[in-house]
Amino acid sequence: MLVNEKMKNNYLVAVTSDDVLKLKVKNVNFLFPIKDLSVGFLQEYTVKDIKTPNSYLLVNRLLDKEALAILEEILKEDLRNIAGICFNDLGVINVVKRLAPALQLIYLESHNTTNYVSINYYLEYVDSVFISTDITEEEINKILAKAHKPLVLPYFLLAQIMYSRRSLLTNYQSVLNLPNKNQEVLKDSISQEEFLAIENKYGTVFYQNKYLDYRKINHPNILFRYINPLTLTLEELEKVLNNQELDIPVTTGFLDIKTYYNLKEVERL
Amino acid sequence: MKVELLAPAGDLEKLKFAFHYGADAVYFAGKKFGLRANANNFTLEEIKEATDLAHSLNKRVYITVNIIFHDEELEGLAEYLQSLDEIGVDAIIASDILVIKKAQELKLKLEVHVSTQASILNRETALFYKSLGVTRLVLAREASQEDISDIKSSTNLELECFAHGAMCTSFSGRCVLSNYCTHRDSNRGGCAQICRWSLLDEAENTFSMAPKDLNLIEYIDKMIEVGVNSFKIEGRMRGIYYIATVILVYRRLIDATLNKTITPGLKKYYLAILNRCANRDSTPQFFHKLPGVEEQYFLGRDEYSNQDFLGLVLDYENKTNQVIVEERNYFKKGDVIEFFGPNIETFSYTIDKMYDEENNLIEIANHPGMLVKIPINKQLEKYDMMRIKVFDKQLFL
Repeated sequence: MLVNEKMKNNYLVAVTSDDVLKLKVKNVNFLFPIKDLSVGFLQEYTVKDIKTPNSYLLVNRLLDKEALAILEEILKEDLRNIAGICFNDLGVINVVKRLAPALQLIYLESHNTTNYVSINYYLEYVDSVFISTDITEEEINKILAKAHKPLVLPYFLLAQIMYSRRSLLTNYQSVLNLPNKNQEVLKDSISQEEFLAIENKYGTVFYQNKYLDYRKINHPNILFRYINPLTLTLEELEKVLNNQELDIPVTTGFLDIKTYYNLKEVERL
Repeated sequence: MKVELLAPAGDLEKLKFAFHYGADAVYFAGKKFGLRANANNFTLEEIKEATDLAHSLNKRVYITVNIIFHDEELEGLAEYLQSLDEIGVDAIIASDILVIKKAQELKLKLEVHVSTQASILNRETALFYKSLGVTRLVLAREASQEDISDIKSSTNLELECFAHGAMCTSFSGRCVLSNYCTHRDSNRGGCAQICRWSLLDEAENTFSMAPKDLNLIEYIDKMIEVGVNSFKIEGRMRGIYYIATVILVYRRLIDATLNKTITPGLKKYYLAILNRCANRDSTPQFFHKLPGVEEQYFLGRDEYSNQDFLGLVLDYENKTNQVIVEERNYFKKGDVIEFFGPNIETFSYTIDKMYDEENNLIEIANHPGMLVKIPINKQLEKYDMMRIKVFDKQLFL
């Protein structure tokens, strides 16, 4: 799908509760976590539930054989309100091109879209790509400048930092004889970093427990500014969209922090 | 294609042991672009030496080029891939799409295998990668028997599956806990293994969420049946005793499966050997069911250092019927030990006499590296190994 200027710079907001649908802001497209095909959300939707035009489906599970069959069935439904699909598993590309070729394809993966060369290769197969949350502002700007198509910018969200197929909350709660909760804030005992863990029957997702605030980034090559308001109230979400300050802890993540990997190199420096 | 046993090779010595004990192929990283950034890794000269050695033995070499690239790593990739191609390595194992595409654009002779970091679980993803020109997929460790079977029948690509060793809590490649807790980038080889650290919940309960290791001994036959071509052993940081033990067990299991001499008792015996050699418990994990509480550790546990490895055979003197062993862990006169190696049936022996290098009778061997001569009437070969006898094979059969 070709993107014109009018289609650019909208907000893509994950529908993390029905309240999100009450937003009265222009230039918003909703992204619905799809039942049986998404992880890391407390609320999920079927295609029939989606009444807002130009909405997007979120399929962020890594798909096994069974999930692939569910996706194929969903794409045969009435998709009149659906503009596109944001996905994590590259297998979605072929399925959508075969069964629903009119849908816009957006590769929404947080960890392997870390340079412009890889992103341009992905863009040979999809309409847009989500920029990684693991890189610096300088890297993001370089990617935006060199990408062959407009991209999705992480704008205001809890960054997804781990995705396991295991039922990590159920398992530890069972062993410790605790009541079952599918959402829990966990803290790493050494670094004291906190994570929000959300589990459904398809796995467990960890988010950083502070919102990444990338609202200062601006560039003409942005298709969507992605917002995942998992724990935000409607009022807080409106403040995000109106670029107002919020009374919650936020972080700029790795915008100004380079990660490293070679310990000898670090010691030398 | 025959069924391949694929071993980790942390350095040239480990590579030689892996081949000696029955591996058909090895995988390791060069100095750049691999996910074990803090291991020794191989220079280009060492990669050439390893490749030449492998090919002289009719075996294969795969190089991991499996980081997720940031801008700063882009420079030098093309030259590196060309160098690997010129050396004649058989394949690279890639995760980032740019490595796969670059290898195609450069028209390299080497094969491209997709790393487990790509988390491939279904036929459509497999077909996507097939369309990029890859010849082999290393499937996600989360792939079930049904997933593997479906991918094989839909793609006919070579499939490689991890059969043994450590696992991530997360889908491999989908975790940056290390980045957030330590600023060490897990997808560029700096993983600090945060998932093995302790966590606190909101009520201050302490627990861990580390998985037990993977061990697919029980399902080797099923895996061959559904189309797995290569059985991969994890552990580039492990020592030669671990490599030798695990590779020999899997070599014998695969061969016994293929020639239909495998028995439940034999599997149990091999399982006991492997469990003894590892420092963590192991389970089949995802192949036959979704893992639950039995496949993880939750509370504090002790990792123990295995001291079963008593010595490495350096020579056997036919004239004196003495084996010369380089000591690795303490042993003494009267100990019941066993020898194992790729060309012998494992056998046990009670040390009756032993001598030091100057032929003095000794009672104990307590210096790592010391040479010990043990009279024994069975021919042994260089690089056979001596360990504590723990299990009696006959009791398992």
